[in-house]
Amino acid sequence: MANVLWLQGGACSGNTMSFLNAEEPTVCDLISDFGINILWHPSLGMELGANLQKLLRDCISGQITLDILVFEGTVINAPNGTGEWNRFADRPMKDWLNDLSKAANFVVAVGDCATWGGIPAMSPNPSQSQGLQFLKRKEGGFLGKDFRSKAGFPVINIPGCPAHPDWITQILVAIATGRINDITLDELHRPETFFKTFTQTGCTRNMHFAYKASTTEFGQRKGCLFYDLGCRGPMTHSSCNRILWNRVSSKTRAGMPCLGCTEPEFPFYNLQPGTVFKTQTLLGVPKQLPPGINAKDYALLTVVAKDTAPKWTEEDIFTV
Amino acid sequence: MPIQTLDISPVGRVEGDLDIRVEIEDGYVTNAWTQAELFRGFEVILRGKDPQAGLIVTPRICGICGASHLSCASWALDTAWETTVPRNAILARNLGQIVESLQSIPRYFYGLYAIDLTNKKYQNSSFYEEACRRFAPFTGTSYEMGVTISGKPVEIYALLGGQWPHSSYMVPGGVMCAPTLTDVTRAWSILEYFRTNWIEPVWLGCSMERYEQIKTYDDFMAWLDESPNHANSDLGFYWRMGLDIGLDKYGAGVGKYITWGYLPHEDKYQKPTIEGRNAALIMKSGVYDSFTDTHTLMDHNFARENTMHSWYDEGSENVHPFDRTTKPSYNNSKDFDNAYSWATAVSHTNYGRLEAGPLARQIVAGGKHGESWQHYDGFILSMFKAMGGASVHLRQLGRMHELVKLYRQAEHCLREFKLNDPWYIKPKEKDGRGWGATEAARGALCHWVELEGGKIKNYQVVAPTTWNVGPRDSEGIRGPIEEALIGIPIHDSQDPVEVGHVARSFDSCLVCTVHAHDANTGEELARFRTA
Repeated sequence: MANVLWLQGGACSGNTMSFLNAEEPTVCDLISDFGINILWHPSLGMELGANLQKLLRDCISGQITLDILVFEGTVINAPNGTGEWNRFADRPMKDWLNDLSKAANFVVAVGDCATWGGIPAMSPNPSQSQGLQFLKRKEGGFLGKDFRSKAGFPVINIPGCPAHPDWITQILVAIATGRINDITLDELHRPETFFKTFTQTGCTRNMHFAYKASTTEFGQRKGCLFYDLGCRGPMTHSSCNRILWNRVSSKTRAGMPCLGCTEPEFPFYNLQPGTVFKTQTLLGVPKQLPPGINAKDYALLTVVAKDTAPKWTEEDIFTV
Repeated sequence: MPIQTLDISPVGRVEGDLDIRVEIEDGYVTNAWTQAELFRGFEVILRGKDPQAGLIVTPRICGICGASHLSCASWALDTAWETTVPRNAILARNLGQIVESLQSIPRYFYGLYAIDLTNKKYQNSSFYEEACRRFAPFTGTSYEMGVTISGKPVEIYALLGGQWPHSSYMVPGGVMCAPTLTDVTRAWSILEYFRTNWIEPVWLGCSMERYEQIKTYDDFMAWLDESPNHANSDLGFYWRMGLDIGLDKYGAGVGKYITWGYLPHEDKYQKPTIEGRNAALIMKSGVYDSFTDTHTLMDHNFARENTMHSWYDEGSENVHPFDRTTKPSYNNSKDFDNAYSWATAVSHTNYGRLEAGPLARQIVAGGKHGESWQHYDGFILSMFKAMGGASVHLRQLGRMHELVKLYRQAEHCLREFKLNDPWYIKPKEKDGRGWGATEAARGALCHWVELEGGKIKNYQVVAPTTWNVGPRDSEGIRGPIEEALIGIPIHDSQDPVEVGHVARSFDSCLVCTVHAHDANTGEELARFRTA
């Protein structure tokens, strides 16, 4: 039995909505079959008449064992570090978070806002938002670089805008079933099992990527979205094309460029004019290349790939 | 009797945390204040960004109705850039909007609303035991079925956009996707699954065709009596229990309603303009004033925002959203005589404060205004008149009534796709002003965008929750939820569940805790969840 408390700071509930789409296990299965006890969740309901503030205080004092604290949304510090722009139960949310994080055996940040700050922390970051243990790629965040939960873990980061429901449920189950020590975290505290591979891993457009065959405009039935439409699939760590979304698809399969939302820099280039859905190039070469490839080799590869590209790469392939 | 003050914190997150304060005298609420308690500053973030930044950023305003934001953001750019939107793309956008709403209906009803029927206040109702069996959180038979199956419709969204929530597949000039036979066939099958596993056997207790014959209050009563299957379906059961526990007796609100209308017709909005929108919609726009029993068309030029009681340093005048400057106040301490919310008071220049939401949409659907070909449905207006106006109970029926008609609209989209026709026509970027609107599950939503020098100069959003939970305006007039709370009975001040019903009937989506203080002693009486 693992007690879970789920709170939201500067959030949109997107991760909650994503979580509710979970299958194998569903949210109800988690509770009935996997020993997860949801102490409280902003929209999942609980016994009526429950005294939330008392429950929070009991978690802080240790009267109720807080196995997992899940946080969704940014930590809002505005104005001037007070956190008053995000009050929860008559108190800045960041003050509750500060107390509860000390009491929790594990702290899990769900979604980009809680992991790195996400969209609210975009320039000019009016709400002075931070992630729990990072702000963008910089370690520290609200709880500080050295924070460790009572079980000795840093904040476990499950990024994404939103995070995939399976990523969330599987980590909760791993903790509840004593399997969490099998999990390796990367340098950004992400579980490698989901974030070691690339978004491109399993993409249906990989052959087009290999031959440098481009989707030049939306709504086409061919090509790779990397060369013109700004897809970040090759540079982004996620399992979106291995563990499909809503059990049916992924952005890149549906023809939408990956925005790199599992990486701390999302939204990339701060959405400055000219950067949205357009590959950023320098002298015709993408500014950002797949990790581990240098520009000279890439140029060579391009020439070879274009020379060897079969005719079908220019024809519609995802046809009706 | 001293006045008791209850502070409810938090309620509903559509644009952030919402708190409510009510005052109770002699068992009835005599005054109320709604306070939006979270500011992230999306309008501030969007200034100076790429014109298309709204397509990525605004769905993240709300993960519950991201498709609705995306619809608004793309239509706003379409009108600003004077694009051509292919027929398929209009259908694909509408389908995304529809399936998001289909997801929301059971998720909201079971996950957020119906669990209150298991409150111990109702333990003497003859319906109570059955309500607990069906609606108890996580374990109720209908709860588990409803919450789980709510994820099915958005699988269709994922077929179009890759994932739900938070795809950005709608773009000025059309959509990014080009669906195939596989996608359309699967989408049909997902819809059928939703209908045959939940809508008909669990929710209605009859076929959708039988339900569609209900046009009036009398028809509905006859349907209830026609068969035990109807009376004992979740709809029939909920309706009968609601009457038994008096949900039809309170929560009326302001008695005036707004919808922007939505679902532009695939053949009528391929050259989208702000002026041409009303005449192109399947679901017509409108305002209904119950005091004069009149329907009129809605136009964005009627909208005004007032920040006198909000935490913005923008004066006390009513301004059109295009003229908003969004200057958040650094000091957001609660002062119920002055500023007490991040929401603004939104009003109509002729009709004042209006309620947004499914009830509003369905009351407007009963109007004879608009184009002759547009969708007409008099059922909820008939209920409204027969029952003497709005209530918590009717607001719920208004929402649930949309289930079948949205299902039909989804079928229409799938039937009308011409898979080999275009899905996107590349537009030319230009400066200008745009406006896009839709109806989110929760009600009227729109975006105003102003582009200058190839970037966003001003971006303004007015969401359904802004209409509903706005604070008092410069004339001291209460917002719709504030008004709906007035006069509600509080059966037990230890556990004022009625406040929760009202807040939830507007679809506030979060739990909240109430603590009541005796005004004289400050003694804390109770806390409870309301959303």
